[in-house]
Amino acid sequence: MVERKKGLVLAAAVIVALALVPFFTVREYVFSILCMLFLYVTLSQSWNILGGYTGQINVGQAAFFGMGALVARLLWVAGVPFYLSILAGGLGSVILAIIIGLPALKLRGHYFAIGTLAVATIAQITVGNILPGISFLPAQQMATYSLIPRYYVFLIIMAAALAVIYFTVNSRVGLGMEATRDDEEAAQMVGVNTFKYKMIAFLISSFFAGLAGGGFAYFNASYYWYLPFTLMWCFEPILIVFIGGVGSFLGPVIGSVCYVLLKELFALTLGEANLLIFGIVFILTILFFPKGVIGLPAKLRQLFYRRGNVVGR
Amino acid sequence: MEFAQYITYGVINGSLYALVAIGLALIMGIMGIFNIAQGSLAMIAAYGSVLFFQHMKIDPFVSLALTLPGMFLVGVFMYLTMFMSMNKFDPGQKLRNSMLVSFGLVLIMETLATILWTANERTVTTAYSGTVMALGDLRIPYTGIATIILAIVVIFGLHFFLKHTTFGKSIWAVSQDHDCAMLMGINVKRTTLVAFGLGIALSAFAGAVVSLHTVSPAVGIDWTNKALILIVLAGVGSINGILFAGLLLGIVEALGVYLVGVHYTGVVGLLIFIIVLMLRPQGLFVRKAGV
Amino acid sequence: MDLLKVENLSKSFGALWAVNSVSFSVAEGEIVGLIGPNGSGKSTVFHLITGLLRANKGKISYQGKDITRFKPYQVSRSGIARTFQIVRPFPEMTTLKNVMVGRAFGSSSARSMHDTEDDARRLLDLTGLADKVSATAGHLGLVYRKKLELARALATKPRLLLLDEVMAGLNPTEMMETVEFLKGLRNTGVTMIVVEHVIKALFSMTDRVVVLNAGEKIAEGTPHEISRNEEVIKVYLGDYEHA
Ligand SMILES: Nc1ncnc2c1ncn2[C@@H]1O[C@H](COP(=O)(O)OP(=O)(O)OP(=O)(O)O)[C@@H](O)[C@H]1O
Ligand SMILES: [Mg+2]
Repeated sequence: MVERKKGLVLAAAVIVALALVPFFTVREYVFSILCMLFLYVTLSQSWNILGGYTGQINVGQAAFFGMGALVARLLWVAGVPFYLSILAGGLGSVILAIIIGLPALKLRGHYFAIGTLAVATIAQITVGNILPGISFLPAQQMATYSLIPRYYVFLIIMAAALAVIYFTVNSRVGLGMEATRDDEEAAQMVGVNTFKYKMIAFLISSFFAGLAGGGFAYFNASYYWYLPFTLMWCFEPILIVFIGGVGSFLGPVIGSVCYVLLKELFALTLGEANLLIFGIVFILTILFFPKGVIGLPAKLRQLFYRRGNVVGR
Repeated sequence: MEFAQYITYGVINGSLYALVAIGLALIMGIMGIFNIAQGSLAMIAAYGSVLFFQHMKIDPFVSLALTLPGMFLVGVFMYLTMFMSMNKFDPGQKLRNSMLVSFGLVLIMETLATILWTANERTVTTAYSGTVMALGDLRIPYTGIATIILAIVVIFGLHFFLKHTTFGKSIWAVSQDHDCAMLMGINVKRTTLVAFGLGIALSAFAGAVVSLHTVSPAVGIDWTNKALILIVLAGVGSINGILFAGLLLGIVEALGVYLVGVHYTGVVGLLIFIIVLMLRPQGLFVRKAGV
Repeated sequence: MDLLKVENLSKSFGALWAVNSVSFSVAEGEIVGLIGPNGSGKSTVFHLITGLLRANKGKISYQGKDITRFKPYQVSRSGIARTFQIVRPFPEMTTLKNVMVGRAFGSSSARSMHDTEDDARRLLDLTGLADKVSATAGHLGLVYRKKLELARALATKPRLLLLDEVMAGLNPTEMMETVEFLKGLRNTGVTMIVVEHVIKALFSMTDRVVVLNAGEKIAEGTPHEISRNEEVIKVYLGDYEHA
């Protein structure tokens, strides 16, 4: 309990410190890196509450990210205030989640994965068909473009996602989610309405994925409409969560830091091939380090003990 | 274009969907391995067909003699390095881990294909490309006819192989009861390895047909998506059902194009996917499964 | 009044009737034994009562209410808990959290997370798991997992507890402890149906015994009556006396 309080104080301090960064530097590079970091923390944390805590693997997170971006951008460019546009984007993702979740989460096994992959591929192609071009900002919005408000938007979204998800997973609801992940039948047997907890996790997850998408739409001056729907946005949150540590609260945060740094490094040195490296790292993680960086100390200890035993004999 | 023409294209597309799905259905139904990379493997196989045609003028249907064993070896490699180690998991975890690993493979293959062959679309243009058979007003491309025949032969052939040959039956036995099959003297390890290789090799058929249309690195996941929808429509474990599910999806999509336009093709597929999940989650072509 | 009443319960798997027209009832405060050879349908009866399987025919009432079509979580909320023959704790969660889930859901949930945790710790003490509080459930040995499953079931505050072979794999001392524990539990007002192959231990605590064979009920009576029943001896007890 005491430790948990300490952790919360520390987290709050970090957020406040980040909020003060713009008073100390004006370097655009710093801002854009931090914006991406906040975006990935939000997106991966939103994946983690559903995939890591509740055991429902969403392989189509891009659909929800993209939906948030699409709605927010359309409304914002049409003149709706930004904070309303981004909330509408989050809501759009939630509606999409309800449409997929109601049939797919009632069932077990592969249905949810298939449903999310289907919605993501179809959304990408459909959006590409209907809006084949680039979305440009209107001149007057372009004239006032500045990174600072973008920085704060991403920071606020991230802080909100972290707070909501932290308190959810440490509550009764979180117990229901974890039980659902570990064994649905056993969970039902002790009174957990597993469908309800899968749905709650999916709604929270899609809402924050949608907000992150809204942030993307606010951040980028011009991009292809279909860009936030591409496969990368499905893959990245999963990669980050597994690198950091699936089903742990700090995992996605650690994973995002690693990912953003490595991506900068690789993009400079390797170009396109950096995706190959990430693909391979991901597969190796799943096969050999399923608990990610968070689980590394335990894994090493385990290896060490096994050695020790053999020597002892 | 008139209605019947749309339906014809629906049937052709549906046959192609079924060709992509069949390997996925085999591996999923028999081994409990969820391979999201199946469409990407078909994409790689299609590039194989394209390259054989470009450099050696080998017809895609002839180069199957090379791409089939090639993809089989790819399957064997995949199984030995990645999927075999998952046999120790319970079915749910096996499904999850195989799905995640194959998702990584999708990314790797797509990136690799982009680096090797660029993101541009490619196609094989043979002497018979573009030629059609006229049936009254109806025009049916010869490649389309070949697709339909290939789908029928491959799927019913696979069904026959599993039900009526010794090796096919042993694959079936292993999928039903691992331990029992071992007691019956079946070499379980070899059987699963070959079954997996076979499932991956089947992607070469799809690849040959795809190469006659268009290939690009990004189509892989799209094919997988269609294949997965077919599996839900047919019901996991159904082999023959895949062909009917493919035809159903192809025709419904064609109707969608006829009625609301080509932009929304995919949405139509998603809709029937959702409707089937709500009304008949065990699939259309299997009898109600026990618990 | 009967706490639980099962009438003409039937369940088939394909052509096999795993449970065939079985009827029995359990009064408040009783411990009822459910015995029979392997594959006679005991676990299936539990699956049917708890809603994990749907009966083809028959009716299950609990406290006078028809619960035949209840979902498992509704069954749990109305005050029925069970253990699985092949134990199923939540493998990735700690022992403490496993029990907290039971306490947070079940038939009456604790008021706050704080209370949930306190109650869970108390139950872990009671079931002899105090020193395993923060162990991951999947890594525990079988005996501990069995205890954990019992603790989790108790955490839901059941009025009716269904126990599926909780003593299998225990040594005689542990078995005696379990029998005493269950007797004590009955004195706190928990009614039980107990499936067990260890007949001696079972008969030492049950008021009544129901015997199944090939899905059908072949006898019902006090342990004394059952141990003299010709048919029961023939199809079931005989083996065990000699074993
Ligand atoms: N899901 C299932 N599908 C098909 N058959 C099943 C299923 N579950 C149980 N059976 C069959 O139903 C019959 C009754 O099984 P059940 O598990 O209820 O027996 P049991 O009395 O608990 O046996 P044991 O003492 O071995 O635990 C058995 O023949 C079993 O093989
Ligand atoms: Mg049993």
